[in-house]
Amino acid sequence: MEPDDDPRLHELLREWEAPNAPPSLEARVLGRRIPWWRFLIAGHIRVPVPVGLAMLAALIAMGVSLARDRGRAAAPPAAEPAHAIFNLKDFQPVQDARVRIIRRYDANQ
Amino acid sequence: MTDPEFRSAFHGHKDVLYRYAYRMTGSEATAEDVVQDCFLALWRNPAAYHPARGALRAFLLGMARNLLLKRWRGERPYDSLEDDTPVCGPIDLELRERADAVARAIQTLPPLQREAVILAEYEEMPLEEIARATGSELAAVKSRLHRARQNLRRMLAPLLETKGTTYGT
Repeated sequence: MEPDDDPRLHELLREWEAPNAPPSLEARVLGRRIPWWRFLIAGHIRVPVPVGLAMLAALIAMGVSLARDRGRAAAPPAAEPAHAIFNLKDFQPVQDARVRIIRRYDANQ
Repeated sequence: MTDPEFRSAFHGHKDVLYRYAYRMTGSEATAEDVVQDCFLALWRNPAAYHPARGALRAFLLGMARNLLLKRWRGERPYDSLEDDTPVCGPIDLELRERADAVARAIQTLPPLQREAVILAEYEEMPLEEIARATGSELAAVKSRLHRARQNLRRMLAPLLETKGTTYGT
């Protein structure tokens, strides 16, 4: 008992009884502890609004950029197609063909 | 901290923390939130508690106190926590039951006096442990407790004079 303790005051103060912790608290505390691997599946974290907005903006920008790149890759090229059709209309065959046979050159001869 | 150790700590101290938070705030919901936050903080970082520095009860009460003061500051950013607040005057006891009058008188005390009287009178903690839990000097705790009792005697004077009867009836 402290030097300035007053038994009458002490007795009066004791008339105010505070309740004990309710049973629901046990479920709230003991039920909320989850192992780290379950946290990866079911956990959640708080993200400040400015950070969340910045992340959202970055994701949207990345998505738009990827969509543009894919669009460019899928569009038909402006140049001539790979399998062009050759027109033989102006083809002129050789008029005076001189056939010359070249045998294999042998350095020892 | 193992799971059985944590469960033992929870079952051993939940009521003390809850009663402390309830008496400090007068709100069951806030008391539940504070106790939950204390134990989840202990579970996430058990290394924060060093047995050499004192009992787990004082450590948890200190944590609850910090959470309560944080809330208090959030609700009353311009109010002072200091002990030298004006002396509390008598409260209106008319038609109020004795227990309610005591509750109201305690919640009228400045926060630092309130916690000192709650821990000393209701939880019967030694002054040294209160000092440890509140991070205060022993002399400061004694002084707060003395002023708290003075204020309570003044506020509850009608009940102390007419002990055993309900004031106003």
